[in-house]
Amino acid sequence: MNDKYSIHAQNLHAGYGTIEIVKSVSCTFAPGTFTGIIGPNGSGKTTLLRTFSRVIPASGILLLDGKPVSDYTPAELGMALGFVPQDEGRPFPYTVMQVVLMARYARTSRFAALVPEDYARCHRALADTGVSHLADRSIRTLSGGEWQRVLIARSLAQDTKVLLLDEPTSHLDLSHQSDILTLMRRLAGSGSTIVGVFHDLNLAALYCDRLIMIQHGELVADGTPAQVLTPKKIREVYGADVVTSCHPATGRTFLMPIKTANGTNSAGKPLNVQVISGGGSGSDLLHFLSGKCLSLSLGILATTDTDYLTAQALDIPCVPVLPFSPIPAHALEKFKRMLSRADRIILSVHPVGTGNLPVIGALSEVDPARIIIHLPEGRDFSSYDYAKGAAAAAFENLCAAGAQCTTSYDGILQHLYPVTPGTNE
Amino acid sequence: MIAAAVLTIVLCTFTGPAGFGIPSAGQGAADIVGGIRLPRVLAAFFVGASLAVAGAAMQALFKNPMADPYILGTSSGGALGASLAIVFLGGFFVPIFAWIGAVVAILIVWSIAGRRGVISVETLLLTGIAVSFFFSAIVSFLIAIAGQNVHQIIFWLMGGFWNASPSDAILSACILVPAGALLFFMGRDLNALSLGEETAAHLGIDATRARWAVLGGSTLLVAGAVSIAGCIGFIGLVTPHIVRMLMGPDNRVVIPACILAGGMLLVISDTLARTFFSDLPVGIITAFIGAPFFIWLIHQRGMAT
Repeated sequence: MNDKYSIHAQNLHAGYGTIEIVKSVSCTFAPGTFTGIIGPNGSGKTTLLRTFSRVIPASGILLLDGKPVSDYTPAELGMALGFVPQDEGRPFPYTVMQVVLMARYARTSRFAALVPEDYARCHRALADTGVSHLADRSIRTLSGGEWQRVLIARSLAQDTKVLLLDEPTSHLDLSHQSDILTLMRRLAGSGSTIVGVFHDLNLAALYCDRLIMIQHGELVADGTPAQVLTPKKIREVYGADVVTSCHPATGRTFLMPIKTANGTNSAGKPLNVQVISGGGSGSDLLHFLSGKCLSLSLGILATTDTDYLTAQALDIPCVPVLPFSPIPAHALEKFKRMLSRADRIILSVHPVGTGNLPVIGALSEVDPARIIIHLPEGRDFSSYDYAKGAAAAAFENLCAAGAQCTTSYDGILQHLYPVTPGTNE
Repeated sequence: MIAAAVLTIVLCTFTGPAGFGIPSAGQGAADIVGGIRLPRVLAAFFVGASLAVAGAAMQALFKNPMADPYILGTSSGGALGASLAIVFLGGFFVPIFAWIGAVVAILIVWSIAGRRGVISVETLLLTGIAVSFFFSAIVSFLIAIAGQNVHQIIFWLMGGFWNASPSDAILSACILVPAGALLFFMGRDLNALSLGEETAAHLGIDATRARWAVLGGSTLLVAGAVSIAGCIGFIGLVTPHIVRMLMGPDNRVVIPACILAGGMLLVISDTLARTFFSDLPVGIITAFIGAPFFIWLIHQRGMAT
């Protein structure tokens, strides 16, 4: 029943001496899959990987291709499972080819010489990771990234069904990262079982079918990248605030860290800032402001608006309304209540037609000194006017009444920070 | 290289303070060449080969090009064992005690420096030096209480072949052949181990068994060498480096090459010692060449990283 899995771990415990690092981990890895193991520093990712490869003794059940891993002879294990370490000491000046040929030891008697097929296999592995040109170089002269690709080539040349990778791209530049991980996807596509430890969650999400999240040596999430990489889970496990989204180009989950609050203002309370935006004009601004220890809220937004999605991702309150319909009176009332509570109001100038003109109109009722108008550099109010001049006039009136106008985010900050809450009371 | 080794043995056999070249005639000359010089040259060759091979194996196992039997305390352990046998057993079982001393020394160094299978270069060298000093202190103590046996103990410490007998040559060959063969056929294990025990395991090598086999084999070689010739330093360190510079780091080549090169180096050193320096202990000659080389090596290593 376990035969359909390459690796079947059940209730696995492992550690160093008396320190238990891996605690009761149960998981399976099927052929043809590429799984990423993620988790914060020191969570036991690498230890788990090394437990799978038998270099760390473990208690519990660990089957490799349906057979207990302890039943394998060292040579059998070397033919069944490959391991790419993060780095490896290089005390002696072996050539790259000499190191990669070591992959064939498991398949050769110690009394026999390597055959031409072994050399051909190793040359192919070097070509696969793009280091053919280094074959005769001394390993001591390689850069970290070159050495990492040599180590990957060596494990490829082992011709194993299972490949374990410990941060295989940690030393690689952007293009080599994608080359190596694309190669791993291809191997998984042809039936190999690939398991990799990843620090870069976006890379893991982009290339892995499945992610396993480890915290304090325990498995805390297991599923597709979209299921595992939720802002809530990341906050729980990594203690970091992120926004997640579906990348428009790749269709995969991606996430972006947002700066966590690093203090409060003189009153000990975050500044209450109301951002009024629309048509996506506020998304960048919200990301910019979200790390600045402010209590943010948004205005009236149609549920199809990009700014609405940003508000959802960043967990910022707003007043959602149906698209393409007049703003209901109760929404406008709620918006006005929010305005009255705001210490500062940032109007990110956006296209205004007759439909959303009442929102700008509501601003004329608040103290203009609390209003900051952000007009992107090189634009004027009339280019946002879709209400036959009424919108431009409303913007102009706010400026004339004393609202601060700026064209840059820094300008917004300058206007925000001299003010402390309470001065408007 | 084999030809060079044979040539060295032949030339050095016919070289010595009693005259150069092939002796013209006479029973005395034949006795000198066959009875004294030949066993001595052969013993020196086998001991040099043993030390060089053990050094190469230790360097691979410890992932450290600075490792050698002397630095890791094996030789002083052997000397301690030999001294104990000399002082308390009247010189019987000296080779056995030298061997036991060497084994104890390497086990101590290994268990202190090699915790959790991770060996740092610094811990390794420091532990080796500490164990060496500790054992040397005991040897010094034994010298102080040894009385008439002092001369015998000093012999161990300086290293030399002036008492080399045919049985010494045979004994050292008997150790070198099996242990050398063992290490030769473990060439690929040594290659993999020199990248780390974990790497070796991932490559399908029985790392634990290989570690003990290499340790056992090289300890046997060093202990044998020490029991015959005392503490001859630097052959075990220098020879593998020379060989690697000439032939690359692949241990399947380094091990057999070390047998020949180590043998040749020690035979030449010993010939120099007995021919030009009125039988100066050969350990002095090797250390004299080896110490500057070692300093140069440290310098190079600093440059490389």
